[in-house]
Amino acid sequence: MNFKLQLSLFLRSFFLQTGWNYQKNQNIGLMFVMWPFLKQLYKQDPDALPSVLTRYLQNFNTHPVMASFCFGALARQEEDVLKTKNAKELEEQITLWAEIKRSLSITTASIGDRLFWGTLKPLSLLVALFVLLVLGINFFEIQLPATTSSWYIFFAGAVAFITFNAIAFFIRWKGLSISYFNEDHRCFGLTEFDWNKTIYNAKKLGLFFTVCMIGIGVFYFMQTSLAQNVQFITRAILVLFFISISFITRRLRIPNMYLYLVAIAVFNIVCYF
Amino acid sequence: MMTPALFSVCVLAALLELDTTYAFQLTFSRGIIAAPIFSLLTGDIMAGIQVGVFTELLFIDVNPLGGVLPPSAVICSATTLALHMLGAELYLAFIFGVLFSLVFAQIEKYRRRSRFRWMIYWEQKIVQKPTSVNRAIMISLFSSFAINFLLLFAFVWAVSPVILWIAAHMPERAQIACKLAYMAVPWIGLAALIPEFRLKTR
Repeated sequence: MNFKLQLSLFLRSFFLQTGWNYQKNQNIGLMFVMWPFLKQLYKQDPDALPSVLTRYLQNFNTHPVMASFCFGALARQEEDVLKTKNAKELEEQITLWAEIKRSLSITTASIGDRLFWGTLKPLSLLVALFVLLVLGINFFEIQLPATTSSWYIFFAGAVAFITFNAIAFFIRWKGLSISYFNEDHRCFGLTEFDWNKTIYNAKKLGLFFTVCMIGIGVFYFMQTSLAQNVQFITRAILVLFFISISFITRRLRIPNMYLYLVAIAVFNIVCYF
Repeated sequence: MMTPALFSVCVLAALLELDTTYAFQLTFSRGIIAAPIFSLLTGDIMAGIQVGVFTELLFIDVNPLGGVLPPSAVICSATTLALHMLGAELYLAFIFGVLFSLVFAQIEKYRRRSRFRWMIYWEQKIVQKPTSVNRAIMISLFSSFAINFLLLFAFVWAVSPVILWIAAHMPERAQIACKLAYMAVPWIGLAALIPEFRLKTR
């Protein structure tokens, strides 16, 4: 795989989820990503393409960023499929190809979901929230100041964007080459990174940031409420109530948004009595 | 009721919504990024940042794992800011933004389920002529954009007079209740982050 082909696969990988459906998930996307590679590989044998394409159009589902490991590994195995000399060998290699696709997509999905959705996304949000606080935008208060430079605001968004995408781009690009050039086929380059340690450390950092953020929020409420001498107890009860109820709803796997909708109903009832 | 700025918000939201699943996933569809961009069109930048932060915090605990479809932060932010631009208070507009994003997620689920026939058609086409995969992707992107736009446009256009009427006739106590619930959003979100970052194993 040369640089041009890798770049083509990398750019096309951004459309992996186009055509997402519940029956075969990302199958059309996988076909779209792998097409330049397949076109080049089967240049001498175009008659084999329909059966190859049918394989690629089977069910495929993984994390969109981590999918690059699957692309590289599948490309490598496809070359082995092409090199086969008889029907038995071909069948074996195709079975191996299908097994790689199935097992690698499950593994990368698991890592990707934990790393990107479960850790990096909330962590980058917290970083952006700290940026906002540093820039003097206190989002805990619903009455925000009217005059703030728009550059400041986009700076926070840019920080969240860069924090997430710097890692996502690196994995997308590197995953392709690592899994393709991995000589001994050991986990297709997945063991090049210590995913568990990375996720563990990022979660530790996220937990620290969250506690700090809650501390800042409480400190802000105490400061403003004591200064104005109003609403402190109401606010404190409100904050403590939602923090504790959120733990319960989380345990029951009830999303935040339902808690908010219930809060509207509860507050309405309370305000009327 | 429909101004050029509102129309632009709907177009931009439909475009950014593609980033959620269908193309790129560059996180342009995150509330903290999308909402300030919308606010450049609606004119109230501070409302944009607040809605962005609140949307992110409220939806932070729902991730697109497997077939799970989280409510769209883009749709929530765009609806809220569009309604706010039309005169609704932010705390009231946000309720409708959240509700519409939940409805939108259900519509999206239905669309994904009903894409089966479309997929069969394109699979046959691709096997016969592999380059048609490019066309399949383009058509899928364009149709998603068009449906996103139409849904958002229809919702804002149809619901905004109702919301403005509600806002004008809403009892003061109900307004206080909605404000309190709105004020609780960052706390609900931050509290959810602690279990999100819980350290299970190394």
